Amino acid sequence: MPRGRQEERWRLPRGRHGLPPEVVSRSQRERLLAATMRIVAAKGYAATRVTDLTEEAGISRTTFYELFADKEACFLAAYDNAVDGLVRRISAAYEAERRWPDRIRAGLATLLEALAEDPAQARLGLVDVAAAGPAAQRRFRAAVQRLMPFFDEGRDFAPGGRNLPANASRMAAGAVVGLISDELVAGRAEELPSLLSDLLFATLIGYLGPDAAAREVGEEASKQLRT
Amino acid sequence: MIRVVGAKGYRETVVADVIAEAEISRATFYEHFDGKHDCFLAAYEMLAGQVFDEVAAQCDWGAPWVSRMTAGLTTIVDRLAVDPALARTVVVEVVAAGADARQLHRNATARFTEYLDAGRELAGDRELPENISLMSAGAVSGLIFDELLAGRADRLPDRLPDLLFAMLVPYLGPQAAAAEMRRVAAAGH
Repeated sequence: MPRGRQEERWRLPRGRHGLPPEVVSRSQRERLLAATMRIVAAKGYAATRVTDLTEEAGISRTTFYELFADKEACFLAAYDNAVDGLVRRISAAYEAERRWPDRIRAGLATLLEALAEDPAQARLGLVDVAAAGPAAQRRFRAAVQRLMPFFDEGRDFAPGGRNLPANASRMAAGAVVGLISDELVAGRAEELPSLLSDLLFATLIGYLGPDAAAREVGEEASKQLRT
Repeated sequence: MIRVVGAKGYRETVVADVIAEAEISRATFYEHFDGKHDCFLAAYEMLAGQVFDEVAAQCDWGAPWVSRMTAGLTTIVDRLAVDPALARTVVVEVVAAGADARQLHRNATARFTEYLDAGRELAGDRELPENISLMSAGAVSGLIFDELLAGRADRLPDRLPDLLFAMLVPYLGPQAAAAEMRRVAAAGH
């Protein structure tokens, strides 16, 4: 996989540059984390060697082992870092809207777009991550749970929302991830954004009931037609 | 194979573990399978088939949809709870075992979601999304996945009301799903 131009831009100048060591170290770490997601997405976790990661990131083996104990520790950090970035994007879209159903629509749309932008990393993040061992499996479930606070606000919005089962948001997050994973396994990452209406309906119905959920999705559909 | 993968995880499992557990020779193993992956796929298919047959055998086709789904889910949950190795294999490790294992998993899931899809009729003339059953199944398997990762397979039957809510809510909405959840909780399973 060729290195993107974007990465070249935040690569530090070679040779003497007089930058403080912590800046150098942070840049190396960030480069390594991004490289790890790219390489593991392309080669699979089992086939990836530390050498692949240091080459892709342009760092030495010594630097690698200063930063991480082994491949697994590096992958887990890279995974968490990627999830942080995705959740920040979703949050920004969510916060930009006011009504809860609109917020969910915006957040889901951003999630689907982000995953469709990079199908290989989307597959790694939601599907192949399970092949990287028990610690990675737990990180995956923790990532899914980070979607829960967005849904939890539906308890305040929905009539009777306070009486919903404690796990309602976990279920909504599970429904979203279930459908997206199925699409990814089927090799349809690019088409993920077309699932927006379905996901919106399936998550809102758990809070608002079928009639209101259908109305929200209907409004979404007519909004799309207008734009 | 299932016991070993359930205990060690797919990645850590080697053929030597499997033949030791099964008390067969290496030669016998390779007469039947090309290797670990091949054996795992066969084991998964067998298990998924067994669970499916159990659910189908206990299904009362005359009963209303909600009762049929409740009975089916109860059968699945009870089966997973008494056999944590099986549960880990069919819910967690199958995803770790490569592309063709995931395809098998998809096919197996589709057999169950076909049953679920009869619930569309309850929505009356409203069109539910075509893939609603996948979202229903995703919510259920997500909850089960979390319990298994936490090492609480034996507690799964306690979570039946929650799992039931997760399964029904995409079809029925929160009020009707919660009513069914309370009914099952009161029946004390």
